[in-house]
Amino acid sequence: MLNINKTAENGTLTIALEGRLDTVTAPALEQELRNSLEGVTELDFDLAKLEYISSAGLRVLLLAQKEMNVRGEMKVRRVNEIVSEIFEVTGFNDILTIE
Amino acid sequence: MNKKPKRHIAVKSIVGIVLLLVTFAVIVSIIGYRSFSEALLNQYTEGAFLTAKAAARLVDSDHIDEYVGSGGTGEKYEETWAALDSLCNTSGSTFIYVILPDRTDYAHITFLFSTIDHNSSYTVYSFGYLRDTTNDEYREKYRNIYELRSERELVIRNKGYIETGNHITAMIGLKDYKGDVQAILCVQRQMDVMSKTLSSYMHRIYLVLVIMALLVITGQALYLHRVLLKPINQISEEAERFSTENKPAEKRLQELIKSNDEIGVLAGSIDRMEDQIQDYVDNITRITAEKERINTELNLATRIQAAMLPHIFPPFPDRSEFDIYASMDPAKEVGGDFYDYFLIDEDHLGLVIADVSGKGVPAALFMMASKIILASAAKMGKSPAQILTDTNAAICANNREEMFITVWLGVLEISTGRLTAANAGHEYPVLCAPGARYELFKDKHGFVIGGMDNIKYKEYELTLEPGSRLFIYTDGVPEATDGEGNMFGTGRMLDALNRETRACPKDVLRNVRAAVDDFVKDAEQFDDLTMLCLEYRGKQ
Repeated sequence: MLNINKTAENGTLTIALEGRLDTVTAPALEQELRNSLEGVTELDFDLAKLEYISSAGLRVLLLAQKEMNVRGEMKVRRVNEIVSEIFEVTGFNDILTIE
Repeated sequence: MNKKPKRHIAVKSIVGIVLLLVTFAVIVSIIGYRSFSEALLNQYTEGAFLTAKAAARLVDSDHIDEYVGSGGTGEKYEETWAALDSLCNTSGSTFIYVILPDRTDYAHITFLFSTIDHNSSYTVYSFGYLRDTTNDEYREKYRNIYELRSERELVIRNKGYIETGNHITAMIGLKDYKGDVQAILCVQRQMDVMSKTLSSYMHRIYLVLVIMALLVITGQALYLHRVLLKPINQISEEAERFSTENKPAEKRLQELIKSNDEIGVLAGSIDRMEDQIQDYVDNITRITAEKERINTELNLATRIQAAMLPHIFPPFPDRSEFDIYASMDPAKEVGGDFYDYFLIDEDHLGLVIADVSGKGVPAALFMMASKIILASAAKMGKSPAQILTDTNAAICANNREEMFITVWLGVLEISTGRLTAANAGHEYPVLCAPGARYELFKDKHGFVIGGMDNIKYKEYELTLEPGSRLFIYTDGVPEATDGEGNMFGTGRMLDALNRETRACPKDVLRNVRAAVDDFVKDAEQFDDLTMLCLEYRGKQ
């Protein structure tokens, strides 16, 4: 299960993820991003409550990062230990802006 | 089996019709009785008044006192009496009489003339007979005639008078030349004829109704059978036939039941329903066949994918310096994980473990391409970092779906045990030196392959002592999840490995697999599970 909470403010879209971002839930996030990036100059991910991210989830983050490279910037905030380890192992910490 | 109905529609509807007819009969007879008896009564009444008028002309109204004074004898009195008597017996009246009520309260009457129907059982009242007025109704009528100068009055007694039978009495005043009432003339007629006529009328009505009821019942039964029951039975038989045979009828219901009423519509609906069920069954059969075909193809794909990975163990029976065992266990029919190993030359062994993002057929196709590119780059003798860099470039060039792959790739110099490796976002390898325990080797990580263009990978070197073991795996192992969502984790993985540090590669994999299965229990396998173990023995 994955809960996607969006808050938009002055071109900044914050997406807080809660639960598991895996093969089952990643398509929903991908669809959500496709629909809501119009006019967004800063995309922030709040991953404090993200319990797990699989390769399919990483793929969506990568897609978002590539999209935001064109539109503005993307930040990943409040990364917990489990997810941080996955970012480290997969090298995603090199391409994502993690705060 | 066709169930017989407990109660037939025909019986139900006929019972309804009979009830309806009975109600109808009761209403008709009440209305008929009322209007008929009213008409009869009117006729009776008019007849009685005509007789009364005729009788009045026979009486000399100007000289009533002469009759009174005659004492019931004398020529004039007897003449008048005889005329009245004759009229009484020819007009069908029971009783014609002339009375003088007492004018104070009309409570008594004195008979002046009294004649009866000779065939009746009554007797005449003699001249001067005085009696009480029968009741208040008569009193009221007498008063009306005298005081209100009413032309005519009528008394109807038909509510069960045992003494005299049902009868009517028509009264008119006998007036003198001045117009004053001198006496009252009454004509009484029995209503027995009328009652007889009425009762025979009622009998006839009942007879007609019974005949009608019988006709309607028979007609309705026949009609129901032809229009309703036969077609309903046909429909019910057809439905029964269809449910057992499951194929269209030779003759459709609409051809059997040519009717434009609801039954015809029902027959049409049943026909259409059969067609739709037939279509549906055909459709399901086709879909099932299609699914069967896809399953067959997927099974074939599983076998092809498995065959693509080296799977004969021991793989190099003539090489005693090392032993390898590996396994891939996809979560779906085909997976995105793979392992690979191959001799680059006599002294160099290439080792690969990789994981494509996602699962199923798309991952499998991506995996096939990646495996070939990696192996061909490796076999050209490039360094691990170069191999990953080149593979990334090749994959990024044609990666519309933004899929990526994590790879750990190592090249072992067999003679020296020197291992050169590079890691593109893959899990940490696990090493076990002789006499030591299995531990994660936290190597330098590059970004996943296929994610970004122009990535340069770095490589590192380490030396394996003879007796060392290298265990590489995909995230399906540490991320195997039990029913409550807990993950197996690298801690449990290392525990499983360290339970038997000297095990041969095949047993190492078996131990880890057993630990994972024991942890996960009945939860569905969610990710591909791929492992490879190398035991380096060195020159012997």
